[in-house]
Amino acid sequence: MMLVNYIGCVILMVLGLYTVVVKKNLMKSVIGLGIIDYGVNILIISIGYQKGGTAPIFTPGEIKPGTFFVDPIPQALTLTSIVIGACVTAMALSIVIKIYKKYGTIDSTKIRRLNG
Amino acid sequence: MMQHFPVLAVMTLFLASFLVVLFGSRNKVARGVIAMTASTVPLVLMICLIKPVMIDGQIISYWMGNWEPVSGWAIGIGYEIDALSLFFGLIVALTIFLSCFYSLKYMSRDDTLEKYYVLFLMLSGAVLGLVLTGDLFNMFIMIEILTFAAVALTAFRNNLDGPLEAAFKYLVIGSIGSSFTLTGVILLYEQLHTLNMAQIGALLQKTGMNPTTAFAFGLLLTGFSIKAFIVPVHPVAADAYTAAPTSASMAMASMVNKTGVYGIIRLLYIIFMTMGLSSVQNLIVTIGTITMFLGVTMALNQHDFKRLLAFHSISQIGYVITAIGLGTALGLSGGLYHAMNHTLFKGMLFLCAGAVLYAAGTTNLDKLGGLAKKMPQTCIIFLIGAFSISGLPPFNGFVSKWLIYQATYEKAAESGNFGFAIVTVIEVVVSVLTLASFIKVSQSVFFGELPPELENVREVPLSMRIPMWIMAVLCIITGVLPGQAYTALIQPAVNAVLSPVKYIDAMMGSGYAEQFISAADAAPDKSVVLAGYWQPINWLILFVVLLAAFTIVALLGKNSRGARSHSDEVTDGKYATFYSGEKSEYSMVGGSDMFWGLKYNLRHYFGFIGEMHSGVVNDYALWAVLIAAVYLVFSFVCLL
Amino acid sequence: MTFNPMYLFYILVFPGFLFTSFAGLLLAGIDRKVLAHMQKRIGPPITQPFYDFMKLMGKETIVPDAAPKAVFLGAPVIGLISLFVTALLIPFAGLTPFYGIADIIVLIYLLTIPAVAIIIGGAASGSPFSGVGISREMVTIVSYELPLILVLLTVGKKAGMALTGGMTFSLIDISAYQAQNGMMITHWAMIPAAIAFLLIIPGEVGTQPFDVAEAETEICEGTMAEYSGAPLALFELSHSVKMFIMTALFTALFLQGWTTGIVALDAVIDLAICILLTIITMTLPHASAARLKVEWLFRFYWQIVAGLALISLILVWLGL
Repeated sequence: MMLVNYIGCVILMVLGLYTVVVKKNLMKSVIGLGIIDYGVNILIISIGYQKGGTAPIFTPGEIKPGTFFVDPIPQALTLTSIVIGACVTAMALSIVIKIYKKYGTIDSTKIRRLNG
Repeated sequence: MMQHFPVLAVMTLFLASFLVVLFGSRNKVARGVIAMTASTVPLVLMICLIKPVMIDGQIISYWMGNWEPVSGWAIGIGYEIDALSLFFGLIVALTIFLSCFYSLKYMSRDDTLEKYYVLFLMLSGAVLGLVLTGDLFNMFIMIEILTFAAVALTAFRNNLDGPLEAAFKYLVIGSIGSSFTLTGVILLYEQLHTLNMAQIGALLQKTGMNPTTAFAFGLLLTGFSIKAFIVPVHPVAADAYTAAPTSASMAMASMVNKTGVYGIIRLLYIIFMTMGLSSVQNLIVTIGTITMFLGVTMALNQHDFKRLLAFHSISQIGYVITAIGLGTALGLSGGLYHAMNHTLFKGMLFLCAGAVLYAAGTTNLDKLGGLAKKMPQTCIIFLIGAFSISGLPPFNGFVSKWLIYQATYEKAAESGNFGFAIVTVIEVVVSVLTLASFIKVSQSVFFGELPPELENVREVPLSMRIPMWIMAVLCIITGVLPGQAYTALIQPAVNAVLSPVKYIDAMMGSGYAEQFISAADAAPDKSVVLAGYWQPINWLILFVVLLAAFTIVALLGKNSRGARSHSDEVTDGKYATFYSGEKSEYSMVGGSDMFWGLKYNLRHYFGFIGEMHSGVVNDYALWAVLIAAVYLVFSFVCLL
Repeated sequence: MTFNPMYLFYILVFPGFLFTSFAGLLLAGIDRKVLAHMQKRIGPPITQPFYDFMKLMGKETIVPDAAPKAVFLGAPVIGLISLFVTALLIPFAGLTPFYGIADIIVLIYLLTIPAVAIIIGGAASGSPFSGVGISREMVTIVSYELPLILVLLTVGKKAGMALTGGMTFSLIDISAYQAQNGMMITHWAMIPAAIAFLLIIPGEVGTQPFDVAEAETEICEGTMAEYSGAPLALFELSHSVKMFIMTALFTALFLQGWTTGIVALDAVIDLAICILLTIITMTLPHASAARLKVEWLFRFYWQIVAGLALISLILVWLGL
């Protein structure tokens, strides 16, 4: 259906995972988490799309069998997911700020006092 | 009326978390009252539900907002309580109650406590909601809430450096897991256009496995594995359980990794119903075996009490996963029994660690010692917990481990697969290594010599001891009366897992399942016999014998005419141990000095795994991607 | 299962308290006498362990200040009680008074309890000798558990394959199998497992050369350094009873299946076999080998003995 969207979403997720796995700076890890979330959101939206469908907003009585509209559930799921992504980013950034105050660095190879 | 209990339980916790910060910011009593009430209500409601769900076999289905299914399609969010959900719900509700009770006194030395209770009640509400819900996206939302609350609880004591680091790693790995879960849910929605687990289970049998659903299977399995903290995503659990305040650690170790186990059971048995395939069984059993072995060997390396307990928690979850992966009724009963026992004894051990931390101020094994005389009740509770986790009779760990050994070896005999016999051997060896590890801890913390800094240690207050005693009594009861516990709790849960048809029918209206599931539902194997290994009459005889023996020893022991203490006669207190006539320094053998023979022989292995747990968050993320890759390759190769 | 007054007889006299204690102390006495003759001495009389037990029971019990009293005094009792319960489970002279609980896994765990009781008793003493002793004792337990479980699984599989096509964990089934098919040791695939078990016996009992945990010359008896009087008597008794239980277990697993029809004669012959096994597995190595260091002990059990048991397990799985 929406091949470009799906390929784009997969690329975003892979790039996000690459950032979290490879980059040593904690800020870049947080950005990577965000990119993974955005990729998933694009996937959710693309799934609901129907070619030629209208927006799913109706007054009562306007709907008849045969009305062709885009699936509304993925849109609701996407809104939820966007909010969750924003909260995760906020929490991660606040933890990074406090880590910087405590450790003096945000290089992940130096923040490893809990190991072994 | 019974219909509303599950939702009431979850909503009470969420509402109370809101009220705590409203009324409890300045008033300590209000905070305690709100938190305790909110923790007791779910426990009471779950216990009320035991009779209809477990004993009578009803399945409660509840549609939020009364949005019943329309012409065979589920359009609302549904809560479905069958025996498996209620089993986990009981465990969770008990943990919430005990943890809240313990935290009233334990956390009294920290400040900003209303924030602690907000987070704790949110965590509890999320876990309870996760095990009671019947909707897949609702499960994902609960996973997100619980990750948040757990991360914030881990970082609670942010004046120390350990919690912040642990919280960041937990957030990164947990977030990766949630993203995978969400992708899996969305892919299933795309194929089947429904989010209700019962309906997904039915429709999947009709559409069969195409590449999209196999991909979704792999992703969902990864997400739940990250939640259950099995190898290789386990280092996060070790860090988080160490850094969190102990009452939160206990809640996490007892409840949160059970959500991963619950998710895996639902996924494999109800939604996808792939447990009959031997490839899936082999995969789950392999992962479980590696988890149990790696957990216990890492635990032998540790210097910190709570970190050691965390690694043991990982190892015991490995046992549960192995037992569940066998796919037989006996394996399932062993796994579920062990999950219940794990909550009880691991919760108790964490509470003991918290008591030691509260009283002595440190959890470093090299610095503690000789606390048995100062904290006798904690010592006895710790020994009960240590013997339960090692599986010694007559405590509860023995029953569940015995069921698991039997299940594994029987599976080996039935399927002719030699690998399962090796799994049995590894299980017993891991059990003995667990015993070794706890002997090390008891010698390092409770027995041995008291270091001079710990002279003023006293027993912890009563309100902290009560939850520990409750759990100890439950451990002993489930060990001595395994038959009753089995028929009351485990058997209905096992039957519920093995009969997905009833699950689907209860949610979507009866007769729905036949339209989709062509094969007849195989009746679950009910012939699980506990082989009467410990019949009460023998227990009585044994007790009489024991009593007679004790009396003999006590009578003979009193022969010491005029027993008096010699310690005040000795001029120098340092001669407490006679050490070849030389003046002795503080000479405690414990902590890292123990088990040299074992550590020396396996030094390459221990060095290797110690190096691998490097503490860098990128490595842990790499392993999460690795396990995702393994699952995805497996589902494409073996399931299509 | 209703309460049968015969059970009291079984528990207290045979094969319970009295018989097991008597047999254990007898084996200990014979062990010392034969060792003495191997070393060209005369040695103490065979009834010496009985005299030692009586003497220790009459001595004063001294409890160290640092020790929690309940744990310190309770540990030897717990150890001894679990050994007696174990004795009730092993089929001896064809008698199994408690049907249905003769189960191998229960046996393994019950055999671990006395060792753990020694460890906890030693830990409770609070002396540094005990600390070293319990560390070594725990390594010994870890060492011999692996070959022990391998041997038991092998025997279970062999018996189960013939009886039900699967496996069995019950000692009663193993006896029934041997009654039908001849003694287990006559099947050549089981011989490595039998040799492995013979090597496990001294390790589990804790005689030289495997007694690192109780090295008198190095750590002053380790875990038992602070014990005296009645608790020490109980520990020595449990050491002797363990000799009897391990040799009886070997008989039950590998040498069953024959009977002369008279229970008393069967019991005497079984006891004679136990004496012979004691001499072969415990006295001979004691007289000829030096004490193994703890890391060599670990390596010995996990490589050589476990290897033998594994060979048997693989052969049995392949159907031989």
